[in-house]
Amino acid sequence: MRLSLLLMAFGGSLAQSSVVPSWSVGGVSPDLPLILTALIALRRGPEAGCLVGFAAGLLQDATGGGLLGVQALSRALAGFAMGLLPGRLWVGHPLVQIPGLVLLTVAEGLVRFGLLQLFHFPASIGELLVHVILPQALYNGFLGAACVLAVELAHTLRGRHTWI
Amino acid sequence: MRFRRYALLLAVLLTSLFLLTVQTRGGGPTRATDLVALAITPVQILLANAHRGALSAWHTFTDWKTVRSENMALRADNERLRVQSLQVRETDQENSRLRRLLALRDRMPLATLTGEIIGREGGGWARSLTVNRGRADGVAQQMPVIVPEGLVGRVAQVRSGASIVQLLNDPTSTVGAVVQRTRTLGLVEGEPGGGVRFKFMARDGAGVAPGDLIVTSGLGTLFPKGIPVGRVTAIEDKGSALFHFAVLAPAVDAARVEEVLLLTGQPAQDVAGLFTPDG
Repeated sequence: MRLSLLLMAFGGSLAQSSVVPSWSVGGVSPDLPLILTALIALRRGPEAGCLVGFAAGLLQDATGGGLLGVQALSRALAGFAMGLLPGRLWVGHPLVQIPGLVLLTVAEGLVRFGLLQLFHFPASIGELLVHVILPQALYNGFLGAACVLAVELAHTLRGRHTWI
Repeated sequence: MRFRRYALLLAVLLTSLFLLTVQTRGGGPTRATDLVALAITPVQILLANAHRGALSAWHTFTDWKTVRSENMALRADNERLRVQSLQVRETDQENSRLRRLLALRDRMPLATLTGEIIGREGGGWARSLTVNRGRADGVAQQMPVIVPEGLVGRVAQVRSGASIVQLLNDPTSTVGAVVQRTRTLGLVEGEPGGGVRFKFMARDGAGVAPGDLIVTSGLGTLFPKGIPVGRVTAIEDKGSALFHFAVLAPAVDAARVEEVLLLTGQPAQDVAGLFTPDG
């Protein structure tokens, strides 16, 4: 099961750099690895969320050419935090999952910005929020809704066998 | 359990911070990123190619679907327009025929009845048309049947709702006729082969030449005088025989007649001027 999770993280990260750019709307692309991390964390708990987030983030750092470890760290935190929510919130409902995903994207963006600030990242938080983080959070919300529906449908078709 | 969870988080955080620290200290993660890149670049290429292939296949499919639906729509349009065009042409021709028939009826100084052809008999034994007018319409036997071009034939049988019209080229048909130019008398007879001939007495001064118009003579009681029957195309000279024959091209192409006038009155006057024998 762990191998399948890592493969999903691997596939999601690579898809982010090869397939996802063509889904861009108005210059905004969704963050597929983060969505996968969130969905896995919600279903498999904080450890899985943390590991998948770390692996996916590390791959994105490597493929993106940035500082290795920034996204690994922010995504690991995001996955861990998302994995802690079940039991505290009614996370099984899409009306919780989707806003949760939006908020998680914003939070992950803020964490990443905070980390990059340590390395003198030049952009301002306001610009980043308006032009990058919030649009991507909204896109993630919509795509997350589609993913949730697809997962539910897959569960129904496969007789409720959990694959995430 | 909870300890393990936070230990994992701590490990992940420390690893990330270690990587970041190593990079900022100038050591650089070049080797590590190179190794990662070595593993993921082929997969990235594969994914990108698969994505491009899928997009290309999708575009091909959508183009094909568009072209196919356009093609089908155009074919349907083409078929519809062809049918429409045929209908228009047919209506136009019918309109033209009816106008000419109506004009003839208006000019004709005798009672007429319009009829539509509902059947044809074209075998060698008999040649006839069936008209949708019968006893109930006042049709009687031997009534002449005409069209704007000339004589079609005569009513041979009358039924309750239809009549059989014997055509000029029926082998048993005989019509008293005259050469319009020279007034030479004779008989127009049908032939088993489907032709029509003008039988006339071969005497001195019996002038019949190719191109002459043959019209009804009006001498009998059946046909009014002057209805075009046909035009002479050839003379069959039998030498010293009593009768000669002229081959006629009928004024009316019976195969193409669709509407007719049945003459219900019998005037003694010449109606030759009312016809347009050459169409």
